[in-house]
Amino acid sequence: TSGVLVQPQQPGAECPEDSGDYCGLQETNSPFVFLSVALKFTDKHEWVQVEGGVGIVGISNYAQEALGDVVYCGLPEVGQRLEQMDEFGALESVKAASELYSPLTGEVTEINTELAENPGLVNKDCYAKGWIIKMTIEKPEELDGLMDQAAYDKFVTSLE
Amino acid sequence: MRGGQPLVEVVRLGLVSYQEALRLQQVYVNRHRSGPAHALLLCEHPPVYTTGIRHKPYPEPLLDQLRLLGADVARANRGGLITFHGPGQLVCYPVLNLCSFKKSVRWYVDQLEQTVIALCSRFAIRATTSPHTGVWVGDNKICAIGIHCGRYITSHGLALNCCTDLSWFDHIVPCGIEGKGVTSLSAELRRHASVEEVVPHLLHAFTQQFNCQLTEAAQDGGESLTPVTSAGTSALTNLKDN
Repeated sequence: TSGVLVQPQQPGAECPEDSGDYCGLQETNSPFVFLSVALKFTDKHEWVQVEGGVGIVGISNYAQEALGDVVYCGLPEVGQRLEQMDEFGALESVKAASELYSPLTGEVTEINTELAENPGLVNKDCYAKGWIIKMTIEKPEELDGLMDQAAYDKFVTSLE
Repeated sequence: MRGGQPLVEVVRLGLVSYQEALRLQQVYVNRHRSGPAHALLLCEHPPVYTTGIRHKPYPEPLLDQLRLLGADVARANRGGLITFHGPGQLVCYPVLNLCSFKKSVRWYVDQLEQTVIALCSRFAIRATTSPHTGVWVGDNKICAIGIHCGRYITSHGLALNCCTDLSWFDHIVPCGIEGKGVTSLSAELRRHASVEEVVPHLLHAFTQQFNCQLTEAAQDGGESLTPVTSAGTSALTNLKDN
């Protein structure tokens, strides 16, 4: 087969030479990784990926660049209920605390505890290891209102 | 692309408690809901130590020790670690909508640093940035920066030591950075430099760096806005008697 399934790399590790287009987990923060479902995006630059009925949430490459090096992640408690657009935490970079907004309505099921020791994952691997929270999806129709990759790319271009 | 320069209202609060300034910042943050309403709040605080969203390094017993010194203690939703605000320190809270400028927090903080560096150079002081956010003269921090951003609206801001009693900083590791000190404009100039003297220079540097226009509310607190030129000291002296 022509495709190579790339094992998740350590942040900063060298990209294996023969992984070609499928290497999406390195510095480029490219979303071209093997995902079962495509990412949806909010206009606040968060992404959601649905996996097994649960939404995984993170911030986009555009967002992590605009923030600078993340030194701290203020995350919610597991079990916290969020309405779409509720503030659920903050990322700190360059002495700036930037709010995070919930892309969906649901309950927090998991937070990325790796970020306590390694907040820089949000910069280095924003679509994979830098995920921030996982949450239930109370209103699946909210996903329809989010942007797909193409729409989000267009949105980002319009900002620049 | 935006044509023209954004208009920023200068709001002189005088000496206000940290809590009162937080309340007022929220008022100005909320104004942005109905459209761009940029404001630059200027004030001084009675002695207060503040922490940011990373408040865990500062447990209550430590904060109680600081209260015993006669200072207030407050927690804020800004970035940055522990710092001190007090008389003689010019505190500036820009409440801007970054949509009218550049939608990057990293850019915004950089602009604040450059504004203060430009201000220092007007006093012939060579100030720099460092890997630690803030503005430094050598190994001593002259201005602390810590901000909050939500939906592109900024709050909190910068704190520039003009003639601050720097001994207040002895009781903390300012901004969590060991082995470095603090300084003030007065200390660097070896003469008294008051907040009043410094304000016009900050406003001038701000308009240059952010490419904006300043305005001030009418004295009677009415709706009319008096345009303020960005030409510098001479244009602003007539506004000194608030």
